[in-house]
Amino acid sequence: MNEELDSQLSAMFDDELAPAECELLARRLSRDEHLKARWGRYAIMGAVIRAERGVRLNAPLAGRVNAVLLAEPALAAHTAPRDRSAARLRWWQPLAGAALAASVAAVSILWLRGQAPPAGVPLGAHLTPAPLSVAPAAATQGESYVVPVPKPPTVVVPSTELANYVVAHSMFSTPVARRNLLSAFMTSEPAAAGAEEPQGDVKRIAQ
Amino acid sequence: MSADASDLSLVRRVQRGDKGAFDALVLKYQHKLVKLVMRYVRNPAEAEDIAQEAFIKAYRALPQFRGDSAFYTWLYRIAINTAKNAVVSRDRSPVEYDLDRNNNEESYDMQGRMKDSETPEGLVLTDEIRSTVNAAIDALPEDLRTAIVLRELEGLSYEEIAAAMDCPVGTVRSRIFRAREAIDRRLREVFEGGLGRAEELG
Repeated sequence: MNEELDSQLSAMFDDELAPAECELLARRLSRDEHLKARWGRYAIMGAVIRAERGVRLNAPLAGRVNAVLLAEPALAAHTAPRDRSAARLRWWQPLAGAALAASVAAVSILWLRGQAPPAGVPLGAHLTPAPLSVAPAAATQGESYVVPVPKPPTVVVPSTELANYVVAHSMFSTPVARRNLLSAFMTSEPAAAGAEEPQGDVKRIAQ
Repeated sequence: MSADASDLSLVRRVQRGDKGAFDALVLKYQHKLVKLVMRYVRNPAEAEDIAQEAFIKAYRALPQFRGDSAFYTWLYRIAINTAKNAVVSRDRSPVEYDLDRNNNEESYDMQGRMKDSETPEGLVLTDEIRSTVNAAIDALPEDLRTAIVLRELEGLSYEEIAAAMDCPVGTVRSRIFRAREAIDRRLREVFEGGLGRAEELG
């Protein structure tokens, strides 16, 4: 028997062997009956040194356990179906994700088209800010206060080419990438988007 | 050195379908487990039956073992639960097996041995193994004996033994190995020569 191997076995028995070496030796230990017998004798030595009284040192316990387990299927057989289903799930996950992203993109495009102005109307014409309504001073009573005026909806309408581009490429891009593309397009064409800042966002009522 | 790496490497092999690796785990822990169970049942033969059941339960539950705790901690928990259940079911049975609990441990041990179905040769072999190992330890040079006793009796790590003996960790590893080799030479004679049961260690 190789002395270095036996030395490793002794260290492994004490949990003092490096994990990589343990992996290799565990493989050999599980197959080599002589090595296993030596391993068993190491356990007997420990039991004697610890003076474990009442424990039968030659009890055929391992043999009995082994005999029972011979009738059992190996654990890998138990876990195999679960592994296969997990593998199937892993295979479907990217496809399901892509399908979901495409659906979200299609709904977004349809919604954006629904918000678009009718044909012939200049882009952004409907975005003219509502005039500030200032209450006449005569109508005021008591102390003055500030009432926030709701902002008119600032709808940004992408061009038809952009919409077509996004639809055509939705299968090949992530939702974040599509959003970035839309943002980049809007910021590069502020005039076309017609998004003007409202002249004011408060209605002052003098009292 | 990572604690429990040895057990974990064997456990992973069992989880991949290698039953031989589980055999190594049984060989390593069988005496400790029987000793643990004997706190509940005292009778060695019954303790072995419970330990066997615990090992089989552990094997079947191994797919769920993820290594969050040490393997032996997990195994001991299974053994304790199995022993407690065995005691409860035994107490419920109409025929009382239990011995007089005022008796001392030695009489429990004697009762267990009397109920034991093991042959007289088996009992002799156990005693012979004990005396052989003890004699081999006594014959060891002091540095080897100290190293193996600190390891097995006190459960110290190699690093702690190295600190206690004021020597490098590599020397501790070598001393423990040499001590085991010296004891093993004598022990093999008992199994091979004495009663011809070299392979039946478990």
